[in-house]
Amino acid sequence: MENSHVRDAMHTPTETEGSAAAMGAKIQAQGTNVHYGDKHALKDVTLDIRAGEVTSFIGPSGCGKSTFLRCLNRMNDTIDGCRVSGTVMMDGEDIYDPKIDVVQLRARVGMVFQKPNPFPKSIYDNIAYGPRIHGLAANKDELDEMVVTSLEKAGLLAEVKDRMDSPGTGLSGGQQQRLCIARAIAINPEVILMDEPCSALDPIATAKIEELIDELRENYTIVIVTHSMQQAARVSQRTAFFHLGELIEVGDTEQIFTNPRHKLTQGYITGRFG
Amino acid sequence: MPFSFLLLVLAGLAVISYRFGTARARAVAPGRQSQLHSRPMYHGLYAAMWCGVPALLIATLWVAFQPLLVKGLVMGGLPDAYQALPEARLNLVWNDIRNLAIGDVVRAQPAPEIQAAADTFHRLYAIGNSALALLCLVLAIAGASFALRRVSLTLRARNQVEKVITVFLIASSMVAILTTVGIVLSLLFESLRFFTKVPPLEFLFGLHWSPQTALRADQVGSSGSFGAVPLFTGTLLISLIAMCVAVPVGLMSAIYMSEYAHRKFRAIAKPMLEILAGIPTVVYGFFAALTVAPFIRRFGEGMGLSVASESALAAGLVMGVMIIPFVSSISDDVINAVPQAMRDGAYALGATKSETIRNVIVPAALPGIVGGVLLAVSRAIGETMIVVMAAGLAANLTFNPLDAVTTVTVQIVTLLTGDQEFDSAKTLAAFALGLVLFCVTLALNVFALHVVRKYREQYE
Amino acid sequence: MSELTVKSGQGGARTRELVAAGIGKRYRAERRFRIFGLVAIVSALVFMALLFASIIGKGYTAFVQTEIRLPISYDVAVIDPEGVRDAAEMRRANYGKLYRDGIQSLFPEVEGRTDRRLLNGLVSSGATFEIRDAVIDSPDLIGKKGEIWVPAADDVDMLVKGRIDRNEPENTRRVSDKEIAWVDALQKDGRLETRFNWRFFTQGDSREPELAGIWGAVAGSFLTMLVTLLLSFPLGVATAVYLEEFAPKNRWTDIIEVNINNLAAIPSIVFGLLGLAVFLQFFGLPRSAPLVGGLVLTLMTLPTIIIAARVSLKSVPPSIREAALGLGASKMQMVTNDVLPLAMPGILTGTIIGMGRALGETAPLLMIGMVAFIVDIPHGFTDPATALPVQIYIWADSAERAFVERTSAAIMVLLAFLIVMNAAAVILRSRFERRW
Ligand SMILES: Nc1ncnc2c1ncn2[C@@H]1O[C@H](COP(=O)(O)OP(=O)(O)O)[C@@H](O)[C@H]1O
Ligand SMILES: [Mg+2]
Repeated sequence: MENSHVRDAMHTPTETEGSAAAMGAKIQAQGTNVHYGDKHALKDVTLDIRAGEVTSFIGPSGCGKSTFLRCLNRMNDTIDGCRVSGTVMMDGEDIYDPKIDVVQLRARVGMVFQKPNPFPKSIYDNIAYGPRIHGLAANKDELDEMVVTSLEKAGLLAEVKDRMDSPGTGLSGGQQQRLCIARAIAINPEVILMDEPCSALDPIATAKIEELIDELRENYTIVIVTHSMQQAARVSQRTAFFHLGELIEVGDTEQIFTNPRHKLTQGYITGRFG
Repeated sequence: MPFSFLLLVLAGLAVISYRFGTARARAVAPGRQSQLHSRPMYHGLYAAMWCGVPALLIATLWVAFQPLLVKGLVMGGLPDAYQALPEARLNLVWNDIRNLAIGDVVRAQPAPEIQAAADTFHRLYAIGNSALALLCLVLAIAGASFALRRVSLTLRARNQVEKVITVFLIASSMVAILTTVGIVLSLLFESLRFFTKVPPLEFLFGLHWSPQTALRADQVGSSGSFGAVPLFTGTLLISLIAMCVAVPVGLMSAIYMSEYAHRKFRAIAKPMLEILAGIPTVVYGFFAALTVAPFIRRFGEGMGLSVASESALAAGLVMGVMIIPFVSSISDDVINAVPQAMRDGAYALGATKSETIRNVIVPAALPGIVGGVLLAVSRAIGETMIVVMAAGLAANLTFNPLDAVTTVTVQIVTLLTGDQEFDSAKTLAAFALGLVLFCVTLALNVFALHVVRKYREQYE
Repeated sequence: MSELTVKSGQGGARTRELVAAGIGKRYRAERRFRIFGLVAIVSALVFMALLFASIIGKGYTAFVQTEIRLPISYDVAVIDPEGVRDAAEMRRANYGKLYRDGIQSLFPEVEGRTDRRLLNGLVSSGATFEIRDAVIDSPDLIGKKGEIWVPAADDVDMLVKGRIDRNEPENTRRVSDKEIAWVDALQKDGRLETRFNWRFFTQGDSREPELAGIWGAVAGSFLTMLVTLLLSFPLGVATAVYLEEFAPKNRWTDIIEVNINNLAAIPSIVFGLLGLAVFLQFFGLPRSAPLVGGLVLTLMTLPTIIIAARVSLKSVPPSIREAALGLGASKMQMVTNDVLPLAMPGILTGTIIGMGRALGETAPLLMIGMVAFIVDIPHGFTDPATALPVQIYIWADSAERAFVERTSAAIMVLLAFLIVMNAAAVILRSRFERRW
């Protein structure tokens, strides 16, 4: 009962979005469904991600935020038994088209995970990993510069420049997460996906990352999944609310938090569930 | 009465005691079952234990120590002329007596005092066996009647039974400790005796091994024929060859199985690979000696190389194949312990599967893999049958895989098979080699298990 | 610093270009790596296939044996000159003469000592026992004539089975042209056939390949395994139960645990040394006895069983224990009545696997003298005996060609036992596998 009610309401916001913002959209998902085996985890999501903006996904846990995020760089391909249907267009190309190569796609769409996951290598090698495998640097100097630039952008350079050869796993949690961000931007992607990047961090580290996201917005399209509504409000320009695998509402962050159109959204942001 | 028959009789008595025990427990409490402290079954078990356990203990001790006792008595009864003989000769005499008594073929007409001793031997055994049987029966019946007399409403039979079982459990867990103690003591003891004949430094660092030529006592040690270095290098060479086969193949198989293979392929190929681990080593040895070695020899000669017919290469190759499943199953565990987050990190950067494996998974898993390889090395060093059958006896100090070499385990087997007098330097040398083997494999294992455990903790 | 100000569009385009440029090479490396993996697995499996193929190819002929039908005249003067029909007396008669006369009568044209001896050599010396047993079984044969199938000598057997190449030059061949001619003649007369080799399954070891069988070794293995099972199963389960259910967590139990793990990795030959020094030298138990073999293999197998049993006990959920204790059972009752039955399939599976390993084990048995040449079938735990894998080792060491075939066949029998045991373990596991 609840379900059919939700489904009806859902079409209103998404349809209007679809037509209104088509020109600024970096990524357009249309009728995207995800199944894990028999489990229907994401139901018919239609959503645009605008270029040069921070879009945040909110919703109670298990509602499919990460699942949708992982559709955008085809990370779901690595999960056994996961099926994605519908289309996801990036710059007008369907990224699920068989002609599209995931390696090239992921070089354009970087990702940062919930738990910092630096490789068991030196700080330098962590950052240099992407440029190395993709052959982005012609020589050692260029690579050095890329590493330094990325660390600089991630606001980590001052803290680590004296110990570039020490292992990345030896950094603090917040530093590790910024290392992972630096690792992602070292290959200069167009989009950066962040899955609850601050959930494992303390408030000070969180503040640094949020600041960083704000700076990165200039050069990258950013999508962030977050558990914290305050965070969504602070860093994002647009917000999408998910519930039980469905996209309930999407709109400007201001509007979502001050004037939600849907009862469920209102219930969630006022803390009645989730 | 043969021992197994005695055991059967004891078992029968125990069952009867059990019956009587339960019956008595019911009888003392007709209609008052609930007032019994323990259920009748426990009274039965209580009686059965009193019947069987003491007798069984005595019987086991007796069987273990009877040979010692008989030997002491028989040898003590020999004329003084024999008593004065050196220990080694006395052992030979003892062998003669025993063979005579057991009815084995004896070469010549025995001396009358030997014949007499053999008769004593026979008689002692006969007396001993009957005495044992009698003692056991008496103990069993006495125990059972004692227990049955004690059956009453208040007898805490269950607690008594459980106490005995607990003692049995604890004693069982001591067996593992005793085994280790036994191994260490026997190896140490015999090795020390060896080192009184051959200095340890000469044994450990000597370059010349030919124990078969050390026939006379004055040759032992002085001729320097117990230098074990060629055995150590031979063992190392063969283990190295084995590792060159097992590590790449085992590791790549594990990687393919866990990262690439379809579920169906894995479901078939994995158990197939494990069959390799279940084949007895004597089968590998036969295959190495009869098929692989001649093949390598022919192949090598076709290329103009001179290959020994028992080349280290053949034994090493086959041993390597034997170890493949071991390496691959450990690698599989270790690779699966690498967190998914690590893979995700690499994939999200656009790494291909092989890049992820080579640059991220394998380095992350490296400590675990190294630990696993060390365990495999200790396997290879201790492996016996393949080298006994395929590597031969030539103690060459060489690192040429096409030459014949010998190993520590081969020499242990050679020194101890066949009729040897136990105290000769030759047989004792086997124990010294065993001690080296034990120490090295133990050290490798302890170290490797430590590395693997540290690795696991890192990702927990 | 210049990079910092680059607009995302341009930077992205450059990345895109460079990635696209390198992608072909990377996918080729990917394919190569994948193929390496496949090659590794396939080569291991091919090796295994070769091993099995070579053993079956070498051994399948051992299940038949070439036999010769000889005319025998059961001469009273030879068998029972005194006419008392005493079995013990008749056992000692010179049956060799009877079969030699038999084969000579088939080739009356053969003259001269050397040729005759060569001709006699076509028949296995085992023919003696064959004829003797026939006579003892039915004494009324005495004085009559009859025909009897007796085993051919190993060289003839090899020739008939095609293991000796007829086209080889005579001076390097094990059988001469003359012998080949006789064999062909016998075959043409229907006097030479390959028949099912029942001796292989019913006889003990022999110096003559055509007479050697595995029954002695199988019986020795059976007795040894029986001792191993009877000791290692209760001891292993008791240890596991103690460590898992009763033992306090302290230094002492830690030591026991570490000790068990290390024992599991000690080379098997060291257990042999232990057996030699302790059981044979110190306690003076008999050499070559299944009892001692069983003791040694028990110590070797114990860690396997203990570890498997502990895993199995651990997998019984705590709720079962709590329920039992809640009903007022004592801890011991809980273990024996509730936990052990649930853990039993796992324990049995581990035991079967451990026993399988013990059955294939050779090295420690060599140390305690089970490698001796033993003809008689062992009947008790202290009779001199050998074991199946040791028999394989002994035969593999023998020079006669015909032993290669026997060795391979014995390996097939050993593998068959192991397959049955492992299949039992697999079935047990799948039948009783419980998902809590
Ligand atoms: N690998 C997976 N296999 C099966 N089900 C999954 C898997 N990942 C997520 N799910 C299910 O899909 C739903 C959405 O999960 P997720 O996208 O992780 O939620 P969120 O990130 O919003 O908390 C959940 O119900 C979860 O149980
Ligand atoms: Mg999530």
